[in-house]
Amino acid sequence: MSSSLPVLPNTSEEKFPALPDPQHVPLERAIRRNPLPSQRPFFSSPSAFSPDLNFSSTLPHERHTNNTPFVSRSLNAGVSLPSTYLSNMEIFQLPNNFPKDPTEITWCPDSVQGMVNCSDGVIMGNNQIQNSSNKVSNDLNKQNEWWSDIMNVDWKELLDDTTISESQPKVVYPSAPSSSNVSMQQPQTDQSVPCHSGEACAVTSPSSSAATAAAKPRMRWTPELHECFINAVNQLGGSEKATPKGVLNIMKVDGLTIYHVKSHLQKYRTARYSPDSLEGMSEKKTTQSEELPSLDLKTGVDFTEALRLQMEVQKRLHEQLEIQRNLQLRIEEQGKYLQMMFEKQYKSTLDKIHCSSTVEKPTTISSDQTHSTAKIELPEAGNSSTDSKITEGFRQVSNKWKMPEVEPSNEKEINDLTSSLPPSKHSRINNEDS
Amino acid sequence: MKFGKRLKRQIEESLPEWRDKFLCYKDLKKLVKLISATQPSSKAEAEFICLLNSEIDKFNAFFVDQEEEFIIRQMELQEWIKRRVAATSAAAEYARIGTEMVNLHGEMVLLVNYSSVNYTGLAKILKKYDKRTGGLLRLPFIEKVLEQPFFTTDLISKLVKECESTMDSMFPAAAAAATAAREEAVMVVEQRVFRNAVAALVTMRELRRGSSTYGHFSLPPLSSPDADLLQSLQLPSPIPIL
Repeated sequence: MSSSLPVLPNTSEEKFPALPDPQHVPLERAIRRNPLPSQRPFFSSPSAFSPDLNFSSTLPHERHTNNTPFVSRSLNAGVSLPSTYLSNMEIFQLPNNFPKDPTEITWCPDSVQGMVNCSDGVIMGNNQIQNSSNKVSNDLNKQNEWWSDIMNVDWKELLDDTTISESQPKVVYPSAPSSSNVSMQQPQTDQSVPCHSGEACAVTSPSSSAATAAAKPRMRWTPELHECFINAVNQLGGSEKATPKGVLNIMKVDGLTIYHVKSHLQKYRTARYSPDSLEGMSEKKTTQSEELPSLDLKTGVDFTEALRLQMEVQKRLHEQLEIQRNLQLRIEEQGKYLQMMFEKQYKSTLDKIHCSSTVEKPTTISSDQTHSTAKIELPEAGNSSTDSKITEGFRQVSNKWKMPEVEPSNEKEINDLTSSLPPSKHSRINNEDS
Repeated sequence: MKFGKRLKRQIEESLPEWRDKFLCYKDLKKLVKLISATQPSSKAEAEFICLLNSEIDKFNAFFVDQEEEFIIRQMELQEWIKRRVAATSAAAEYARIGTEMVNLHGEMVLLVNYSSVNYTGLAKILKKYDKRTGGLLRLPFIEKVLEQPFFTTDLISKLVKECESTMDSMFPAAAAAATAAREEAVMVVEQRVFRNAVAALVTMRELRRGSSTYGHFSLPPLSSPDADLLQSLQLPSPIPIL
């Protein structure tokens, strides 16, 4: 990806400053222009409230998948291509399509410019990483020591205690019937705003390899599809005789291209396990073991024990990763729910114009997590807003609550979320709430 | 310790081919700093978004590529077992199958870890971004990330579990054979995979220990049994993992 960086996009860089308006509208400024009755609340965290600001609208990614020839069609081979995605598509863009914003579509050159710079950044990063990696892999002796030390640990004892007392995710959605019902998705009509930036980015992508990749959608292989592939290869007399074209013809999977088959066949050939001749994986491994020491048998550790131990650690890591993943998913859902609450709250606030109406109690927002509950209650102590340990959760929550009270003169201060607000505001609101 | 440092350490521990595939946290952080310094800089913000997008693209490409390879290897391994284990095969071969299996298992778990680490990095940098700009990019962006190929690890997790059950069914028999064949067995226990797995566990515990900016998106600390396990794991390490 970092291989070729044509100079082409640099031209667009020059164009960029000539454009009169900042095309890529930063949130706050866009919102300031937004002619909603009360502007004040928008200053600190605008979109949580605004019914107009739709972050997820008009993602080119979504639109493009519709054009993809083979998204979840059923296939004659009985195998379905599970998922394809276009690479190098803009996965996300700054929410620049505010309906009332005049500058909505004009930021393309800017994003191109960004692409140029960012790929430079990627390359730099790579170099740095490679440099540091050399350092690490050089020290083989240390690795050997590490290994034998590891093996001397009393693993039996450690691994016997396999009960995972990991606190299971127990995020509770306070009064919401179901989190999926309260999804944040804005009406699809919002997405009618045209957005060309995704295309622009893809076309003028600085990385030519990425551009070509965008032309042919990537494919995600599945075991089922692979089985179908193997059948085809076997029909053609094995992996060495089979040609990509032949395999493609036999597989008859819609959307599958010669490009996909070719690279898959290549992978398949190198991954063959043949016990008779040490080809494929094992061959690869032996070359690796030259640079990395294999397990020294003299450490007295049984070979199978070592394998078991390795397996056990890996298994543990996997378990933890799965638990963490579930936690993260739930937390994200909760975050979504929170935002929806705020939005709803704001709407009702707008209706009544007076903000002091029906602010929900903090405890209903994050009921299960004792820490966040505790933190949210902090303001009642008075000076907590200046506390440096104040939590993000609290900040977000409290910001949204006190926003209607914020004076326009405080704009700067509020724009920076890290700066704390006068404690008096907190207590005032909290008094009203409680 | 800061997340950037932990990430760097973890990258150093990771497989060499994987190192440039992780999140360029440092570069993103630089851009975020640029944004806050020059307040009305739409350019920096666009750069930031663009880099984020290209990073996600990078994750997807790498993840899907690895996944493809693992699917092939898993299948091949199963075939190999069927072929050889049925016929009374040499003990050395048995040991080799076991080794391949464990290593494949490890690499797949590390891919899941790769997904998780990058997700965490994205969430962290977005949090920073929101903090600096006062914007609310994190939530909608992460929502998109959750749908990305690199974050959908279901298939790999399924393969991991298949690997485990194959191992379980294979190992009672393999144990004796492997011991007998110790001398001939190609000892390619992939220390680097194992090492990497240990490092990943340590990092995870470190990350979960708590954030300086704890919020409702933060995860609770890792449970104690694993902490004990890791405590003992990291002690003998001559190269400080932490």
